[in-house]
Amino acid sequence: MGVFEFMAGKKKPSPGEVAKERLKVVLAHDRLKLNPELLELIRGEILSVVSRRLAIDEDQVQVNLAHEGGAEKLLANMPIKREKITFEWDPPSHTPNSNVLHGTVHVDTTDDEQA
Amino acid sequence: MDSRVITITSGKGGVGKTTTTANLGTALAMQGKKVVVIDGDIGLRNLDAVLGLENHIVYDLVDVVEGQCRLRQALIKDKRQEELYLLPAAQTRDKNAVNSVQMEQLCQQLRQEFDFVLIDSPAGIEQGFRNSIVGADEIIIVANPEMASVRDADRIIGLVEAAGKPEPRLILNRLRAEMVKRGDMMAVTDVLEVLSIDLLGVVPEDEAIIIATNKGEPAVYDKRTRAGRAFTHAAQRILGEEVPLDDLVESTSLLERLRRLMGFGPALGEKPVRSQSS
Ligand SMILES: Nc1ncnc2c1ncn2[C@@H]1O[C@H](COP(=O)(O)OP(=O)(O)O)[C@@H](O)[C@H]1O
Ligand SMILES: [Mg+2]
Repeated sequence: MGVFEFMAGKKKPSPGEVAKERLKVVLAHDRLKLNPELLELIRGEILSVVSRRLAIDEDQVQVNLAHEGGAEKLLANMPIKREKITFEWDPPSHTPNSNVLHGTVHVDTTDDEQA
Repeated sequence: MDSRVITITSGKGGVGKTTTTANLGTALAMQGKKVVVIDGDIGLRNLDAVLGLENHIVYDLVDVVEGQCRLRQALIKDKRQEELYLLPAAQTRDKNAVNSVQMEQLCQQLRQEFDFVLIDSPAGIEQGFRNSIVGADEIIIVANPEMASVRDADRIIGLVEAAGKPEPRLILNRLRAEMVKRGDMMAVTDVLEVLSIDLLGVVPEDEAIIIATNKGEPAVYDKRTRAGRAFTHAAQRILGEEVPLDDLVESTSLLERLRRLMGFGPALGEKPVRSQSS
């Protein structure tokens, strides 16, 4: 049982149990050498890749390390902007005479939200 | 002769490396092995005093490496064990006075004469630590059951792996059974689980260690002391004997778990991927 489950439940964790749980989290970070600066870098890079295809709400993006089920996980939470989903499209290079140089698709979902 | 070079290290200072080196060295010599213990803590000489040999030092490790004396001249014979020798650290020299190549050569030289070469590593992850593991076949990690020590131990395990050494084994030192029983201290199984490491021994917190250090006679000489017995058992495990753990606090089912963690049964879970850079 994790320390947080303890907190939610009735039983208070003993100092020994707290130490063990805290160590697990701290070691998860240490082992991956994930300092806050690196996490911020990863966040920016994921965002730039995903934003090419989807309009992500930049301010809401969260990238965190979690310890779940005995494994270390990188969890990225990237809410898509409500009002639109944007696709950008580059035409295939084998159609040199194409007039289309750049395509953007906006999907407006604002109305669905009200239904 | 297949001699073994074993380094005792920890990352964090003050957890019991020097105490462990002195006791394992003495215990192995008492089992009839020819042993040399090296004080790798240049500038902070300590092992000599724990062994009660502080008044016998003429030359030291740096003198040997720099060719100021021959290796034999620097080796100090123990007072009681015929087959135990100390190679002391330099006290007034810079801790970077020795490099890795010199240290490896020294280990090679000592292998010719001894069954066991035990190296007492300095704290930290710098040159002194790297020197202490460069020539080692095996690594023993000493840790206390508390956050900072276990965290540093994890870091050291990563660096040991990165250096291409076999998986280290753990001596968990200064365990306080009554605190574990109350839930106020991490249990042996907690530390093993968090570190995913094999156990070599568990040494209780014991006044006998301080008394022994005061006298300059390692605790393994006194069979009545729990810490002395624990170090003797660890030495026997180094020699390949299967010695059960003293029942310090764990219940029978936990002892069963421990047996498995110590490699007497199927392994528990996978090894974590540790950061291997310093
Ligand atoms: N099991 C123990 N019980 C009580 N005191 C201990 C124990 N192990 C070590 N000590 C004490 O802790 C201090 C640090 O030990 P030492 O072996 O010098 O650590 P290190 O070499 O890792 O710095 C010493 O004063 C030593 O006597
Ligand atoms: Mg020391």
